[in-house]
Amino acid sequence: MRRRTYRHVSVGYVLVDVFLVLALLLWLFPLYMALLNSFKTNGELFTNILAFSEHPTFDNYVRAYQKMQYGRSLLNTVFLTALGVFLIVAFSSVAGWALCRTKTKLSNIILKFFIFSMLIPFSAIMIPLYKIVTAFHFRNSLAGLSLIYAGLGVSMAIFLYHGFVKGIPYEIEEAALVDGCNKFQVFFHVVFPLLKPITATVVITNALWIWNDFLLPLIVLSDRKTYTLLLSTNTLFGQYSNDWTSILSALILSALPVIIFYLFFQKKILAGITSGALKG
Amino acid sequence: MNREMQRKANLMLLLFCLPALTVYIIFKLFPAISGFYYSLTNWNGLNPTFDFVGFANYQKMASDSDFWRSLGFTAKYVAAFVVMANVMALILAVAIESRRHLRGALRTIFYMPNMISMVIGGYMWMFIFTKVVYYLADNWHWTFLDHSWTGDPNYSFWSILIVSCWGAVGYLMIIYIAGLQGVPSDLKEASKLDGCNSFQTFWYVVRPLIRPAATICVFWTLNSGFQVFDVIYTLTGGGPGTATQSVAINIYEEAFKGNTRFGYSTAKSMVLFLIVLLVTLVQLSIMQKQEEDL
Amino acid sequence: MKKSFAMLATLVLLAPLTACTNTQSGGETKELNIMMSFPQYMEQWEAYCHKFEDKMLKDENIKVKVNLEMPTSDQYETVLKARLQNTDAPDLYTLHSNNIAEYNTAGYLTDLTSQPLAAKIYDDVKAMVSLDGKVLGVPLESQAWSVLYNKDMFKDAGITALPKTLTDLRNIVTALEAKSYTPFMLAFHDSWVPQLMTAVTLGGLVSGKVTGWVERMNAGTGSYNEVSAIFDAIDLIMAHGTDRAMEEGAEAGSADFANGKAAMYVNGTWSAGTIFETKPNFNLGVLAMPVNDDENCTRINLSVSTTLAVHPNSKNKDLALKFANYVLDDNDSSSLFEACKFNPIATCHHYEAAAYVSEAMEYVEKGRSYKDLVLPSAVTDKQGKLLQEYYQKTVTKEQFITTMDATYKDAIAK
Repeated sequence: MRRRTYRHVSVGYVLVDVFLVLALLLWLFPLYMALLNSFKTNGELFTNILAFSEHPTFDNYVRAYQKMQYGRSLLNTVFLTALGVFLIVAFSSVAGWALCRTKTKLSNIILKFFIFSMLIPFSAIMIPLYKIVTAFHFRNSLAGLSLIYAGLGVSMAIFLYHGFVKGIPYEIEEAALVDGCNKFQVFFHVVFPLLKPITATVVITNALWIWNDFLLPLIVLSDRKTYTLLLSTNTLFGQYSNDWTSILSALILSALPVIIFYLFFQKKILAGITSGALKG
Repeated sequence: MNREMQRKANLMLLLFCLPALTVYIIFKLFPAISGFYYSLTNWNGLNPTFDFVGFANYQKMASDSDFWRSLGFTAKYVAAFVVMANVMALILAVAIESRRHLRGALRTIFYMPNMISMVIGGYMWMFIFTKVVYYLADNWHWTFLDHSWTGDPNYSFWSILIVSCWGAVGYLMIIYIAGLQGVPSDLKEASKLDGCNSFQTFWYVVRPLIRPAATICVFWTLNSGFQVFDVIYTLTGGGPGTATQSVAINIYEEAFKGNTRFGYSTAKSMVLFLIVLLVTLVQLSIMQKQEEDL
Repeated sequence: MKKSFAMLATLVLLAPLTACTNTQSGGETKELNIMMSFPQYMEQWEAYCHKFEDKMLKDENIKVKVNLEMPTSDQYETVLKARLQNTDAPDLYTLHSNNIAEYNTAGYLTDLTSQPLAAKIYDDVKAMVSLDGKVLGVPLESQAWSVLYNKDMFKDAGITALPKTLTDLRNIVTALEAKSYTPFMLAFHDSWVPQLMTAVTLGGLVSGKVTGWVERMNAGTGSYNEVSAIFDAIDLIMAHGTDRAMEEGAEAGSADFANGKAAMYVNGTWSAGTIFETKPNFNLGVLAMPVNDDENCTRINLSVSTTLAVHPNSKNKDLALKFANYVLDDNDSSSLFEACKFNPIATCHHYEAAAYVSEAMEYVEKGRSYKDLVLPSAVTDKQGKLLQEYYQKTVTKEQFITTMDATYKDAIAK
């Protein structure tokens, strides 16, 4: 065993290691600097920006927590993301399945329709969408915003579901139909459980998208009570741009939920992202 | 299938697609189509009435120097971003895949920036560019850092690029790793036995096989590059003046700041859409042809 | 998957309960929708709205529910305009007094002349919110501003008199630099801050010398060539300012100014909040920016920024008018205005104005003030952006003038 290890450690291998370590440092540098300085007082921050704090303080976090109305913003973001993802999964799983199983001209047209629209950039629809938002009184409505996310997100999700259903043998559904189930029952009891892997992908990609989206909430939400985490952070930055310690702790606070989530589910998330990307 | 059955099947299909179609038509298709209509009007987003002006908005664009400037900036940015992000991602993917240990941990860390929003990441980098860099320049005398990284367009172009790469490379890396894992290891072993060095193995054996992954990555970087908004919005706000405005920022400002000319700004977004469509179609056809040629 | 689906469904069902807590109870409750543009005073105004609800219940036995909404300032106008042309227009809203004429023509303002509040407003402030002798809004924030300066630094540099001409200002700059103080604070990251340089220089020049320039511009016959002299002052500021201006935001600029990084800062008294928060005993002064060697052009900018208006089609117009009057209530108004650090604007305000306010008001009393110029917002926006580029030397004076002329033509064409 020992000899083998020796044999394999070449100069090239070490060089790649060095490269990876350097890249790693660069990658974590912004996060590290933000974390490091978020525990300092404003005075300490500018005397030595690279050192550890001598008197670490949580005051910045308390201040940022209050100023950005963290609790409410977090709740808003969770609600928006959960509802948006729920709607996308609910709407597109059944549509993707039906589109795959119905072999008519119409199903082909509808599918093409969805696929083509994936190329429309958000900025092309942003302004007319803004008009619809006002007409529907969706301004400052998180539920309304989640419906918009559903509208923007279904085409990709339908595409993924459609591709996945193709790989499921139709015999299973036939058997259930013979047993006297109607189509709805077949979908909910037989098909939907089989879609679990692709549903995981759809949930992960869309949750990340909605959670981290900035521009759409920026134009739909104007009341601070409805702000998402990102909007609150952005406002804080505008109002207290001189108070870096508060801002850095606000940044850490708003990145925290998603990083914790990531560290717990990283295997699932990376797998979901990969399959989403390769199929999309 | 006879006619009657087909009609019934279509009816069922529409029923199952109804919720998805409804939200899709209201919030995506209708805005896209009405967007084209508004681009032919002088609607300012405020007045209840507006006039049909034909293609006047499109003609106006020709002499709009700010729009051309943003288009030029975006083109420059996309070119640099596509190359830099893909090269970095591929190098990282190959480096990580060649390790015996800690592959999972490395993947996890390099992917981390993708989990947080570019608004958050942008502000973290803002701290680096406006405070940390000056600290190093003043105290460690690293004078090569003493530039206006968010204020001087010559340097802020690079800071914008660094931050976007930081946020995108993890995602691309994951796709390239998936591609690399799809390369059968006996092929690599065989080429080694034939006397190829690592680089030759990569170039002649691995590279052709990860072309599908490259197609996806280039497509994705092109698409998101043309629509770049968050990073610039947080880092420079498009400034100084309009020097670092991307097309998306230019459209946003035209619509929501100053004149609020909605009709005109939708016309601009139609042009952006056509450009993105054209470029990605060309890219896909070229790269798919190359894949077939192999 | 089923389990997580069920969990999501529960979340979705529960969330509306937490999301909308403001469902009203009882049939007689009257709602009043108010939109205001200063989220930094959210707490003070929310408390004041509650006071109003209590007062209405006690005095007139009307159950009132006030919905106060405060969008961020960069979004406010877009949101407001979108609301006004739809059916969900607010009963009361704030606007900049510069826009009174525009909103009045559109039919969005109520004549408040016969209301009790009108008699209380000081005459010079009343003029700013009136059109053809009709009072159309309740002034909230009024400022007399031009350049903020650090009195201690001026004293230390042996400066005894405030500048009356640009030459005076040049001498002051030399005196400050001799004591190794940086004369000007430059914070150009947000384009509205450099814009203030055009606001004060154009204001002084147009009211003292190049009269009628705004009217000519609006008629399409004027040009920025007539006012190109503003660059003498702007060049002086930029040449003697702090480094790394593009990295400095407006708030950071105020804080650094308070910490003594520079002696002068072209900014309004609205930044006093940040300044005193950073340094509570800061010795703040206000001086008028000279544009040239004509004393007549050295004036202070008088503006009423935030003004409260009543929508004429309000469903509860009586109640809305009661609220407007309550803003200048004899008993309660004083403490509200003081808490927000607004200047006293009416006879019902009994608190002592800060020293820097009195100093600025001396200019006004001597007749050395002008009413803030009303330019199209696309024009002011572009002025700020071009000054950023002018500072970075990517735009020349000549380019500034030709671009601004084109922008102005474009703005009045629509």
